[in-house]
This record gives sequence, C-alpha cells and structure tokens, in this order.
Amino acid sequence: MERRAYFIAGDLLANLSTGAVAGAASALLVGPGWPMWLAMPAGMLLGMLLASVLGVAVFFRYFGAMEVMLPTALTGMLAGMLAAMWATMAPLGLAPAALLGVLCGYAALGLVYALDWHLKRSAPEQGT
Amino acid sequence: MSDIATRRKWDRAARSFDLMTGIGPDKRWEPAKRALFGRMGQGEILFLAIGTGLDIPFFPPGRRILGIDISPKMIAAAAPRVAAYRGELRAQVMDVHDLDLPDRSIDQVFTSCTFCSVPRPVEGLRQLYRVLKPGGELHMFEHTGSRLFPFGLMLHAMTPISRRVGPDMNRVTTANVVRAGFQLDRVQPVFLDVVKTISAHRPQD
Repeated sequence: MERRAYFIAGDLLANLSTGAVAGAASALLVGPGWPMWLAMPAGMLLGMLLASVLGVAVFFRYFGAMEVMLPTALTGMLAGMLAAMWATMAPLGLAPAALLGVLCGYAALGLVYALDWHLKRSAPEQGT
Repeated sequence: MSDIATRRKWDRAARSFDLMTGIGPDKRWEPAKRALFGRMGQGEILFLAIGTGLDIPFFPPGRRILGIDISPKMIAAAAPRVAAYRGELRAQVMDVHDLDLPDRSIDQVFTSCTFCSVPRPVEGLRQLYRVLKPGGELHMFEHTGSRLFPFGLMLHAMTPISRRVGPDMNRVTTANVVRAGFQLDRVQPVFLDVVKTISAHRPQD
C-alpha cells in the first residue's frame, strides 16, 4: 500500500475529481425520462471514458500509471452509474451529483488500497 | 531488424516518452525498481528495453551491462544517461525476437515494462533463455493483466486502444515465463496483481 504523502494526495485528487466530473456529467446526460436499463450502462461508459481522458491527459504523468488508471476507471464507472440511476428516479442537480461522485471516489480508492494491502500481505507466489 | 512496425511505434513514442513517464510512473515505481536492479551481479548483464534510459539511475554502479532497445530513437535519447552511468554500460539497437548474442553468454537478464510490448512474448522469452547461461537469472519488472474483477475486464477493454500507441495491458507474462522454459523463483506484487516483479532462472542442464 502506498505510504508516500505525495502519491496518497495525488490518488485522492485524481479519484475525487474524476468522481465529481463523472457524476456531474452523468446527471447532465440522464434525466427522469430514461429507462434504468439504459441509464446504468450509459452512465458507466461515460464515467469510464471521462476517467480515461482525465487519467491520460492530467494525472498519469504526475502520479503514476496503473496506480492512477485503475482506481480512477473504477471511480468513473461507479460515479457515472450511480448518478445515472439516481437521475432516472428524480431530478439530480450538478452539485449533488458531483458530491455523489466524490463519495464514489473515496469508496473506490479505499477499496483499491485495501485490496492492494491484502495482496501484498498474502504475497501470492503466482499471478498472470 | 525484423519488426519494423514495433520499431516505428516506439520511435514515435520516443519524443514524448520522458514527459509522459518521467515524473509519475517513474517515481512511483522507483523503490521497487531499485530493489530489483539491486540484484545485478558482477557478470554479464543484458537489460531490455532500455528506452530513454530512465531506469539507468536505479542501476547499482560498477556493473557490466548491455542495454538493448528496438527503437534507434530511444537509444539516441538514452545517450546522456548511458554516458553518465558509473560502470560499463553499452546501448545497442536489437530486437528481442532476434538477439544477436551467442548462446549461454549472459549471467543475468533484467527487463523493465518490456513484455507488455513485445509482439511475440514467448518467442522473445525463449531468446532470453537461449542467451542465458544454465543457472542464469531473469528478473522482470512488468505490468500484466489482472485476475481481479473488474480490473481484468478493464485492462482487456483498454488493450485494443493502448496497443496502437504503446503497450498491451492484458499480458499473461508470468505464465509466458514458465511457457518459455524458465523455472519461476518469485512473483512479488507492486500494485494489485497488475504491476509486479518476476524472478526466474534457466535450470541447470
């Protein structure tokens, strides 16, 4: 698990901002008229696409490659999907959607850190 | 040179390579790379792919190393870092599929994010096996695919795009090492099960 303050701060910045952008964009795209079955994958795809663009264009060169790309892709996917689902049920403003995305960023990053810690602790001797 | 397409791809990447990887990925991976390259011994060492030489500052001093890369533009960009190394370091354009080195002539091979990009990885690894002395060591710093959901799927989805400008994201490098005949010694995760170090050796005859 990462222990250097620069990279922890970078991971937080990358995931929280990606979550905010993905959540807000998904709320802009999807409205109450959308069916849930369409809104969910549309939000996920939009979130992942935005995460990829932000990752390559902004965060990759400062904070790392896979360590940035995979958590932010997960954040984008979660934030886009949840904001889209919410937006089909009730109008969702940009600020609450962005806040939902920030929470997704925290959750996704926490999950990745926990998984990384677990894998290193068990130190698997085989892999792909 | 047998693989013109791969050479052209990395020649194109050479101009912006340091800008893209010189701060984030390189600093992030520095401790794991220093630990791996710290295993460089006193014999003949082959290093793939040397790129613009970003890994050279992590090499222990006083070693005898041949660094190869498929891209002449990468080798040209690496020249100042090659010259600054305090030891014997030569950089040559060479394709891992067609190594111009005698059988059983190398003591250790090191790779750094190489086999994500080698078009025919098992063939390339068999070439490394050929040039290693019996008992010779292979030490790799590589990123691969993942067995973890949803990361494995994400890496598969990214690969058709990433392959056009750089590496594949879904390689099964550990399995390829075994497939090429090496005996696996250790696989250590650096980030999830995606970035890792792999150590193996050519068995004694």
